[in-house]
Amino acid sequence: MGTTRGGWQVALRLARREAWRRKGQTALMLLLICLPVVAVTAAAVVWRTQDVSGVESIERRMGAADARLVAHEGPMVEQHFDPDVAQGWVGEGTRKPATLDEVLAVAGAGRPAVPLLRESRTFRTDAGVADMEVLTTDLDSPLAAGLVRPVEGTFPPGPGEVVVNRAAADRGPGLGETLTVLHKTADGEQEVELEVVGIAESAVSRGYPFAAGQPGTFGGSATHEHEWLLGGGPVTWDDVVALNRIGVAVASRHVLTDPPPDSVLTSGGSPVSSLLLDSGPDELTITVLALVVVMVLLEVVLLAGPAFAVRAKAQAHALALVAAAGGTPRQARRTVLASGVVVGLVGGVVGVVLGIGAGALAVPVAQRFNSTVFGPFEVPWPLLGVVAVFGFLSALLAAVVPAFAASRQDVVAVLGGRRGEGRPSTRSPILGVVLLGAGVAGAATGAVAGQEVGAVLIAGSALVAVVGMILVVPVVVAVVARLAARLPLALRFAARDAARHRTRTVPAVAAVGATVAGVVALGIAVSSQEAANEAEYTPLLRDGHGSVSLSNPDTDPAAVDAVLRKAGLDDQVEAITGLRLSTDTEEMELEFRQGEEALWLSYWSGLGSPYAVGETVPDFVDIAPAARERADAVLAEGGLVLLQDPHASEGSYTLPQLDGDPVAVDVRRWSDDLPEPELAATAEAPTVLLEVSGTATVLAVFSPPVVEDLGLPTAVVGTLLAAPISDETEKDVAEALAALPGDPYFYVERGYRTPDEVRIIQAVLAALGGILMLGGTLTATFLALSDAKPDLATMAAVGARPRTRRGVAASYALVVGGVGALLGAPVGFIPGVAISQPITKDPVTGTTLLEVPWTLVGLVVVGLPLLTALAVGACARGRLPLTARID
Amino acid sequence: MSVKHALLALLEQQPMYGYQLRAEFEQRTGTTWPLNVGQVYTTLTRLERDGLAAAQGEDAEGHVIYRITDAGRTEVATWFTTPVARTQPPRDELAIKLALAVTVPGVDVGTVIQQQRGATMKALQDYTRLKRQAAGATAAEPSDLAWSLVLDSLVFAAEAEIRWLDHCEARLRRAAVELDRRGPRPTDDASAAPAPSTEGRAR
Amino acid sequence: MTDPVLRLTDVRRVHGTGATQVEALRGISFAAYAGELVAVMGPSGSGKSTLLTIAGGLDQPTSGAVVVEGADLTGLGLDARARMRRTSIGYVFQGFNLIPALTAAENVALPRELDGVPARTARQEARAALEEVGIGELADRFPDDMSGGQQQRVAIARAVVGERRLILADEPTGALDTETGEEILRLLRARCDAGAAGVLVTHEARHAAWADRVVFLRDGVVVDETGTASVDLLTEPAAR
Repeated sequence: MGTTRGGWQVALRLARREAWRRKGQTALMLLLICLPVVAVTAAAVVWRTQDVSGVESIERRMGAADARLVAHEGPMVEQHFDPDVAQGWVGEGTRKPATLDEVLAVAGAGRPAVPLLRESRTFRTDAGVADMEVLTTDLDSPLAAGLVRPVEGTFPPGPGEVVVNRAAADRGPGLGETLTVLHKTADGEQEVELEVVGIAESAVSRGYPFAAGQPGTFGGSATHEHEWLLGGGPVTWDDVVALNRIGVAVASRHVLTDPPPDSVLTSGGSPVSSLLLDSGPDELTITVLALVVVMVLLEVVLLAGPAFAVRAKAQAHALALVAAAGGTPRQARRTVLASGVVVGLVGGVVGVVLGIGAGALAVPVAQRFNSTVFGPFEVPWPLLGVVAVFGFLSALLAAVVPAFAASRQDVVAVLGGRRGEGRPSTRSPILGVVLLGAGVAGAATGAVAGQEVGAVLIAGSALVAVVGMILVVPVVVAVVARLAARLPLALRFAARDAARHRTRTVPAVAAVGATVAGVVALGIAVSSQEAANEAEYTPLLRDGHGSVSLSNPDTDPAAVDAVLRKAGLDDQVEAITGLRLSTDTEEMELEFRQGEEALWLSYWSGLGSPYAVGETVPDFVDIAPAARERADAVLAEGGLVLLQDPHASEGSYTLPQLDGDPVAVDVRRWSDDLPEPELAATAEAPTVLLEVSGTATVLAVFSPPVVEDLGLPTAVVGTLLAAPISDETEKDVAEALAALPGDPYFYVERGYRTPDEVRIIQAVLAALGGILMLGGTLTATFLALSDAKPDLATMAAVGARPRTRRGVAASYALVVGGVGALLGAPVGFIPGVAISQPITKDPVTGTTLLEVPWTLVGLVVVGLPLLTALAVGACARGRLPLTARID
Repeated sequence: MSVKHALLALLEQQPMYGYQLRAEFEQRTGTTWPLNVGQVYTTLTRLERDGLAAAQGEDAEGHVIYRITDAGRTEVATWFTTPVARTQPPRDELAIKLALAVTVPGVDVGTVIQQQRGATMKALQDYTRLKRQAAGATAAEPSDLAWSLVLDSLVFAAEAEIRWLDHCEARLRRAAVELDRRGPRPTDDASAAPAPSTEGRAR
Repeated sequence: MTDPVLRLTDVRRVHGTGATQVEALRGISFAAYAGELVAVMGPSGSGKSTLLTIAGGLDQPTSGAVVVEGADLTGLGLDARARMRRTSIGYVFQGFNLIPALTAAENVALPRELDGVPARTARQEARAALEEVGIGELADRFPDDMSGGQQQRVAIARAVVGERRLILADEPTGALDTETGEEILRLLRARCDAGAAGVLVTHEARHAAWADRVVFLRDGVVVDETGTASVDLLTEPAAR
């Protein structure tokens, strides 16, 4: 034991001195270990700060009150100690929500109470109307203090006055102006005009329009719930349970601050109570988390690996001398490992400290992009402890391979000044190939397994495949060196030198490979999912065209036309005549059947009615000329044309062939007065079913005689707008139409659009991949350059131009980046292809899609290494060391 | 240098007469140690007297041919296997000259050394040139190899002398610096530069 | 006499500044002519190596002129000096300084390739140069797999390939045994006899003796110089 500790002491002292002696190298090692620690720490700080935990949320939820109560239309409430986490209704029947008197009877008479209401309304903006949140309460009351934070102007507002937040003021109603709140009630739309007397921010959110006023300010409420702030001392868990019994959910300051134990919470014995308790993270989450941590650790270790390998190599001569003087391989190993210990300890601690600082700087930035008001600055120490250990572990692991290499070096060769790295092992590549095979097999199994198990299996296989790839890297590097014989000088030198310094090259290549594998895998997954989403997408209109749906009788077609005319779209407009299916009081539904067999048509339309009426098939229906002729003939004889969009076919259901066959149309009427829909009319007509070549826009075209038979009214059900409609126009028209009564629905067909979050994920993925690749390549390149100083001096002596150094630097980058990318891309296909199967699987047909983002793959495999090489070449010092070896 | 043993060693190969022996000797050792014929004949007579060689008759031109005796063979074998003794250092004129130059006042020892080194260097260059010329046949003939080895011996000896001269020069310079550092000699004028500044300059 | 291949005129070189200032060369004038091998001798720190790096354009003198084949190196930029080292000047070092990642032939071909000669031609020239120094069969070996003598032969081949006229050798035999060292000197000498100018820096008289002239340096100045021996101390053996 004594010798063990003594051994470590010597090793640690050596490591400390070495770290001090080679400051630049040590700084690089620290940087590589620190950066991930800093990033994770900063993210943890920001996350914990923006996360508003129970206690932190008390002020924003109940101001200065002791509890916030919500009375429901239910007999009894079961709630978590925090009702926002979980609550449920129990018992049979309904009851009117409890009144304040009833509440006070339970909670204790004499407690002060203030009614509170948060509602969503719309208000007039400069451009039209927009949504806003309104808070109605007694803003004078001390109980409400803290719910609203005054910024400027008067607070609290008086009757007929209101305060708005900056986000609302910026869209129209500024200080001293009028806020017009729109409010739909049973009596129709109501407008309330209020004077804005102050600017104040909500304690909950920013960036979303908000207004606050005294009770009654915003007109009558539409909700059936009653809400109060309650004062007069702590509201205990017993009080909460008692209030629950009269259908009131309670958020109590006392209970939130000091929650009762689980046993008390579940004492009711109801099954709901136990469901309301927190359940820990499930096994799946833990497995996925563990895999992610292992992958990140692997990447960090690989990125830091070259620096540790170079450090170990610098110590090789000293270690050989130690060995010659009787040192054991174990002592040599320990000396190298000690570097990892020293760098890991310092890196972990420094990283956490810097990370907290970075987090503090990042919080205000993050707040700017987030509409929820953050909680107080919070440092999650236990989590940061784990992160620091992670940093320490990554440094230690990065030193493991060089340590073993150092303990096995050829002492004679090192002392003789020859290379100490032996031939690559032949066993480990074989193991690597086996692991790659296992990865493929695992991924294939995962691809056909269930969603959740499959995902874990595929992620695990990805890890196995990456480890396999790492084991294969030495052989590939050696092969590349052998193939380099015919390459230009700089590339040949870089490839051979890379192979000669394997402990340095392999982790760098592997880091790039792992990064590329990750990017390619996620790229394939995202692209495939997008392809599946796109395949499922059915356009409603021709691409670029728009429609205004006129389904609501309140909407005045003339007003719509006015809006369109104002937008300059009037010569692109085509009014569509169709069956009017809804009135103020009733709703019609059409059913088609052939004999007794119902025909199921898909039900999609951007118009007020999916059924057009006409004597010919309208031009906007994309249909082959022959089919159109046939359809027009059927319509001319008083028939019916059904249109089928092949894109919109529902699963495996196929409609029967119809060519003049009689089809019956049933009209079912739905009304508030009727408990069941009633059959209003039936008509039969010769019908043709045609497949459209492009978009159908409508589902069927009725000839006037059929409409007459059914006794249905016809009307203008919508307006079609021909392309082009600019994004600008679309926004203006949408806002203008939203202000019209009846809320006419405006739609512009833009084809399938990748959601923004997918684009953001792709961009982040590309950026992260690029940064990691660049990092791996750069560290390896500059370590190699400093190692190659004597060789570069020799080149200078035999007449190399100073810029040859740039060529060599770029070549190193190309070798490391290129080999890594070439290895990583196929490895990335393993989980990528596998995961694309379950996520694109059509639940009905079972078909799957595979979309490989070749541009991304090409960019990563060819573009990035070339780009990195160019960047490295441009940044490298174009100066050769001239006399490094001569003196 | 034992001429006696050298001639005996040559006779061991084949019987020869005096002039032949001299030519053969010079063939192997170059013109390093010139032998006159008289010395050869004197030595041969002495060898005959000691029973190490014997006259064997005359050739057509009347040269007396000598051959080695069994006792002579034994003597040669003993000579080859006995190391050359270094008990008494050879009298070296150069060493004596330098020793005197250092002690006798008014002699510029540096010049003595430099001139000697130049001369030795020249000799070394000449030996080397001869070696270069002999290079082509090093291994081909034993006698050429012998010549080359003799040259090497001269080369190393000359090199040693140059190294010794370099060494002497370095030591003399150091001694001069030491002397300078100790300050002005007692015999020098008292108004000479004060010791501390001299010291500073000397360093 | 024709112009020298290398001429240094009153070359000074000062390293560092202020208190740490060291004057490595204090006004050296020196020339090497075609067909001549000049040895530079002197103890450690006498400025031998500095002289050589300046002659090769790796270092610039503080003052003075360095003319190689008519071109003054002090007036040339880094690129132009590099070109001189590819086309006119060959270096041989004590530590061989072969690039371990390149084969013997590739090491020799290096200056030619750097000069833009097509790789195939450069490699052919390299092989020829290796034949010339007697190790043509080792062309595809890597330096780590060769003995010291073999490596230094490669280095000499690299220094002469492309018909370079000035060979600068810095203790080329320092790491070799005497016999191997002699072989290397023989190769150098042969190159000079064939018309090149050579400068050999050494601290061993035995090696300097291979030169036509020996220049002694001490503390950055030439203290002595021996010309070609005018009197033959010895004559050829009569029997030859």
